[in-house]
Amino acid sequence: MPSRNRDLRPLAARETLRAVTRRHFFRDCGVGLGKIALASMLAGGARAIGSDVPAFDVTNPLSPRPPHFAPKAKRVIYLFMAGAPSQLDLFDPKPTLAEYDGQPVPAEVVKDQRYAFIRPDASLMAPRFRFSRHGESGAELSEMLPHLAKVVDDIAIVRSVHTDQFNHAPAQIFMNSGSPLPGRPCMGSWVTYGIGSEAEDLPGFVVLSSGSGISGGAANWSSGFLPTSYEGVVFRSQGDAILNVSSPPGFDDQLQRDSLDLIRTLNDRQLGRVGDPEIASRIASYEMAYRMQSSAPELMDLSGESQDTLDLYGVTPGKASFANNCLLARRMIERGVRFVNLYHEGWDHHSDVEGGLRSQCGQTDQASAALVLDLKRRGLLEDTLIVWGGEFGRTPMVESNATLGRSLGRDHHPQAFTMWFAGGGVKPGLTLGATDDLGFHVVDRPVHVHDVQATILHLLGLDHERLTFRTQGRDFRLTDVHGHVVEELLA
Amino acid sequence: MVLNWLRRFSVAPTLLVPMVAGLPAPAQDDDPALPPPADRPIDFETDIRPLFEARCINCHGADQRKGGLRLDNRADGLAGGDSGPMIEPGDSALSYLIEKVAGLDPLSTMPPSGDPLTPDQVGLLRAWIDQGADWPDADDPAEAPSSDHWAFQAPELPELPSVSDPSWPRNPIDHFILARLDAEGLSPAPEADRTTLIRRLALDLIGLPPTPEEVDAFVNDPSPEAYENLVDRLLASPHYGERWGRRWLDLARYADTNGYEKDRERSIWPYRDWVIDALNDDLPFDQFTIEQLAGDLLPDPSIDQRVATGFHRNTMINEEGGIDVEEFRYAAVVDRVATTGSTWLGLTVACAQCHTHKFDPITQREYYQLFAFLNNADEPELALPDPEILRRRAELQAEIDAVVASLPFLFPVPDDAPGGESLTEDERRRQHRAASMARWEADLTTFDWTPIAPSSLASKNGATMEVLDDRSVLVSGDTPNQDVYTVELETDLEGITGLRLEVLPHESLPDGGPGRAPLFSVGDFLLTEFEVEASSGEDTPERVAIAQASEDYAEKGHPAAKAIDGVYDTGWNVKGAIGEPHAAVFAFAEPIGEGEKTRLVLTLRQEYIHQMTIGRFRLSTTTDSGSVRASGLPAEIEAIARIPAHERTPEQADQITAYYLSVAPELEEQHQRIASLRKAMPKLPTTMVMQERRPEHSRTTQIHQRGEFLQPTGNAVEPGVPSVLHPLPDDQPLDRLGLARWLVSEDNPLVARVTVNRLWSGHFGRGIVPTLDDFGTRGEPPSHPDLLDWLAVTFVNEGWSQKAIHRLIVTSATYRQSSAVDRSLVDRDLENVLLARGPRFRLEAELVRDLALSASGLLNPTVGGPSVYPPQPAGVTALAYGGPGWPTSTGPDRYRRGLYTFTKRTAPYAAFTTFDAPTSEVTCTRRERSNTPLQALTLLNDPVFLEAAQALARRVVSELPEADAEARAARAFRLCLSREPDASELAAILDFYQAQHDRIAAGELDAEALAGTSESDRAAELAAWATVARALLNLDETITVE
Repeated sequence: MPSRNRDLRPLAARETLRAVTRRHFFRDCGVGLGKIALASMLAGGARAIGSDVPAFDVTNPLSPRPPHFAPKAKRVIYLFMAGAPSQLDLFDPKPTLAEYDGQPVPAEVVKDQRYAFIRPDASLMAPRFRFSRHGESGAELSEMLPHLAKVVDDIAIVRSVHTDQFNHAPAQIFMNSGSPLPGRPCMGSWVTYGIGSEAEDLPGFVVLSSGSGISGGAANWSSGFLPTSYEGVVFRSQGDAILNVSSPPGFDDQLQRDSLDLIRTLNDRQLGRVGDPEIASRIASYEMAYRMQSSAPELMDLSGESQDTLDLYGVTPGKASFANNCLLARRMIERGVRFVNLYHEGWDHHSDVEGGLRSQCGQTDQASAALVLDLKRRGLLEDTLIVWGGEFGRTPMVESNATLGRSLGRDHHPQAFTMWFAGGGVKPGLTLGATDDLGFHVVDRPVHVHDVQATILHLLGLDHERLTFRTQGRDFRLTDVHGHVVEELLA
Repeated sequence: MVLNWLRRFSVAPTLLVPMVAGLPAPAQDDDPALPPPADRPIDFETDIRPLFEARCINCHGADQRKGGLRLDNRADGLAGGDSGPMIEPGDSALSYLIEKVAGLDPLSTMPPSGDPLTPDQVGLLRAWIDQGADWPDADDPAEAPSSDHWAFQAPELPELPSVSDPSWPRNPIDHFILARLDAEGLSPAPEADRTTLIRRLALDLIGLPPTPEEVDAFVNDPSPEAYENLVDRLLASPHYGERWGRRWLDLARYADTNGYEKDRERSIWPYRDWVIDALNDDLPFDQFTIEQLAGDLLPDPSIDQRVATGFHRNTMINEEGGIDVEEFRYAAVVDRVATTGSTWLGLTVACAQCHTHKFDPITQREYYQLFAFLNNADEPELALPDPEILRRRAELQAEIDAVVASLPFLFPVPDDAPGGESLTEDERRRQHRAASMARWEADLTTFDWTPIAPSSLASKNGATMEVLDDRSVLVSGDTPNQDVYTVELETDLEGITGLRLEVLPHESLPDGGPGRAPLFSVGDFLLTEFEVEASSGEDTPERVAIAQASEDYAEKGHPAAKAIDGVYDTGWNVKGAIGEPHAAVFAFAEPIGEGEKTRLVLTLRQEYIHQMTIGRFRLSTTTDSGSVRASGLPAEIEAIARIPAHERTPEQADQITAYYLSVAPELEEQHQRIASLRKAMPKLPTTMVMQERRPEHSRTTQIHQRGEFLQPTGNAVEPGVPSVLHPLPDDQPLDRLGLARWLVSEDNPLVARVTVNRLWSGHFGRGIVPTLDDFGTRGEPPSHPDLLDWLAVTFVNEGWSQKAIHRLIVTSATYRQSSAVDRSLVDRDLENVLLARGPRFRLEAELVRDLALSASGLLNPTVGGPSVYPPQPAGVTALAYGGPGWPTSTGPDRYRRGLYTFTKRTAPYAAFTTFDAPTSEVTCTRRERSNTPLQALTLLNDPVFLEAAQALARRVVSELPEADAEARAARAFRLCLSREPDASELAAILDFYQAQHDRIAAGELDAEALAGTSESDRAAELAAWATVARALLNLDETITVE
């Protein structure tokens, strides 16, 4: 039996977070404080038990707070190419594949690898596009990426990423949360939990989507066991940008303001009567909600953008697109949003990888490169990290299946794929890692998904081993029990 | 071709790398870097154990387990550590242990301190491993894990502590609370007023607010038992089961879709209704547990008891095309172990999946022993005998039977048929029919088939196969994505000319079969290749050439010929005629079989995706000459057709006649009638259940290296329980039933504590142990340990009645305190650990909506049934895979309680997510209670809440048609908050009302839009009240249990 005096020990992590939030609310937020001054309980910030998250010292769970060490990146735009683009036709040229086009892959190479659709003895398939060198760095890109070629000296290409998962939903969730099973917090949640957000009138972690529906669904931006405040907020390109951000039909701004004033008056009274700090938090939430009602439409309104900028991205105002989302992502980070996760689903080319890439690159290449350029010319690239990549790679072997009506496609390939990174402390002009002559296995500088995650956190000034949250008796982290920072990638 | 490649590799060094990267170095007996193995027999006890004990156990023993490795017992030692197995019995050069101790690993040499091992010592270890690493089996972990941790000691009924004010306690709970407050120098808060209490009780026990009339009745009830009577009334309400059922459904991770990418709909709502009913019936918690974990194993289980096993069917199912189904079944069992551990034991058992638990006394072996209990079930769906549907089906069947019975009499007789003068109409019809049938028979091409029961059966991917009495083979159990059946037939027949493969329906198969595909092309299969080998005696089997394939039916473009074309991605299937028997015939190029025993080995490849494998089949051979092919008849009819008409038994004659009538083109109209009646047959609702496998098909559970599905260690374990807890009773079976009974055994120190703690937390917003799912050494200790034990023991003594515990809690003085808090107490005890005040917290997600619906009068209080789709903003589901729509319910289903809202895992109902509802992917013991701007936006602007505000406006106006604004405002206030507004509140509301009223009158605001009505004569009045109602529904107090 525990002794009687132990039960006011520090609370479990989650509750401490709440308690801390509320305490700080009282210290720093003016709402309703005339009734109760709580100076004595405001003895500094506290830390979530078992974690090394810096102390909270402001009014809400998303308040900005210092990272573990000086960051290179202050914010992230993650371009998630869901469905998994073919690295062999975009980033990782393999002349040998062309030489052996149509011949079966040796069994020794495939070993026990499990594939989603193809058989292990499938034939090799030549790259579908020509590659050439670009920029001072001389980095090789396929002809499908003419826009990226123009900024190739500003990005770092990693050809040696590998993952554990070979099905879409588990692999996407793995890339985002470090676990293939839904239920863990994803990267944007960890980051905002660790360092909050600088956005005053917008969520700290935003999700945008173009293309078709996303395999991993809401688990890709779930806060898992972290408080709901760290969940990704989906911005939609049609209707309300944020669910319910518009007042209902008939409720004009004055009525909305009057309503909020009445709600606040009555909540204030109840706070005076009952004294629960939670009421003060509610009052503040309503004020923030009101501000979001104007800040979200302002964010989405591109009328202030120059034609030059619109052309740079390839944005058609009013038309939902990946390009549109890239421009919105820039506008978000300008307003202090910490983590923008921008999904484009449509890369799952089990058949006709050539036609598929033409279509998808047509939709994404210009805007991805424009984002790099635009951030650079605005001085934002140096402390904004851009990440581009899918959930796994695609096979050097061809996928064809008469019953499924597939031909000249590529299947899922977890052993090797390519991602690129730009800005935010990443070494520009770098091409890191290599695969074998077939593009099958990584042969130089393997970078596991957990390493990617560790590196992104590192650039944000967070130590992936110290950014933890205790639940179910364990200190969980984004990188599970793995992950090493990819030092070569750092500027 | 491959050889060419290998040659190329040998001259292209860069190409060699991928082949060896990541693989262990090949065994090299002559590795010069390794000391040679000792050349004598090694005895573990004398040679090896002392070495381990002297140099290894400090770090790799029961205490430290560095790197996840233990060398103090056989099981853990052979299993290895975090980086995999350390010992490869028989091959010391391949053993990581040797690499480590011989200093070959540049990263670290073991032991890390002191002298390295001598070459002789390494040689001993090498020899021991090379000789098979014989490690005596009796060597269980040196000491069984034990613990003096409080939670592992059985609770005893504590004495009630004395208190400063004996008049305060209303029941024993209060003694423990007050004693603690006394010790802290604090006093309890005064009792809350009756209005607050009835609202608190109602929201707490049934999740719905009291009506103003109920409030008045309670406030004015003179009975000394008024409070207790109210508690009893609420506990007897059918809504009690809904309110507390939802909490249990969080633990059960209940959802209406399968999760992962496809995330398709499933039917398991009958389980949800079972939970509601069980709680309303106050099914004792031990029985509640046993039925959910093992209802199927109870003697002669009822339908309800089988439905209850849905608890563990709520795990996710991955339906992506290219998956390994078994991998995700493994993931589901992992989830079941974790959920069982946290729900009934309050232990983080899941931590021991990858390695022995770092903090609690649970070994990895014990984890897999628990796993073994839960690893032996099949996962079928159960059709529920819904009486109304059964009645309708019987009606339709009677109609079908009547049509079938009428067929002989409806057979059309043409005018020129003979006997027009001499015969009765019936006789003339009979003769004409017989003649038509004879012509039909004469056109048949049939063969003599001999069905053969297989002498051997195998499923490559673990499906269960059994031979039925009719010699057909029924496949059940695992449903792998792809499979290869190997079937052996033995026969004495001479000159076999062909094989017939019948694929047959069965009630256990999806849509009746004959295929097993559960999700896409339901009930179909795809036979991608069919191969035959034959041998006699000791001869090597030889491939039998198949000349041609034919079938009675195939989907267009998928004939049986595609199963012998050597192309692996094409085949035979029967889409379009599911639920019926079919057959394919494979004619041999040359007859086989020479009179003595011939062995035929058949390979049925089904290597497509989506689990399209055959569910039931039967094989027959023929020795008929000629071009053997499918007759197009069911096997039984084909057999009868071979018998000359005069030799048939009456039954056979009837059978073939009935078949003829079912296909005769003359009766086409009736056939269509029968088909449409069959189509109209309503299906029975189904639910997902567990079904224990028969002993001969039981699965073996192995320890998995680091918990990885792909890394089974080969160390098989039997079902068992952690030795730190009470033992399994000797007389209980080693199956889920034994596990369930063990969990609710009175010897279990945890289950009652964990359960009462969860109930307590539901009432006070915080558990006595705040980590509801972790009573282990890393969990938080109880704030009131004696109270926890008193409740736990009382729970068992009260026959595991959850309602009894609720009654005790809510009738305590502790619960009845006012929740108002003064500054010094916030300062002292922000989280209300000491309970010097009553509970106060925001309602859970579904209840926020339930309250709005209830206050506005919209609520449809129907209990149970399929899930519904209330309105939500457009586009919420669009981001999920396939961008599915949301088929918004119309009519009363729009206004059902929140727990009936369809739960789509990858795109949960938006308003609920915003208010911290779980996504049901994994068990949720305790919901977060966040307080965010998105919640404000939902309450202010979401269509559901706007509709409620407009309805509330209509309600107050229609209930008080003649009253003034003040009375209506007060009424609306009471409908939301139960209490009367005070003067200043009323004044603020009326000011607001007047301002909106004036703006509407001035035409500044669109009354019809605000009121949500086109009745323009009432719109202005309703609109102003709708704005008031909306504000009231947004108050913190409205969505809070005060």
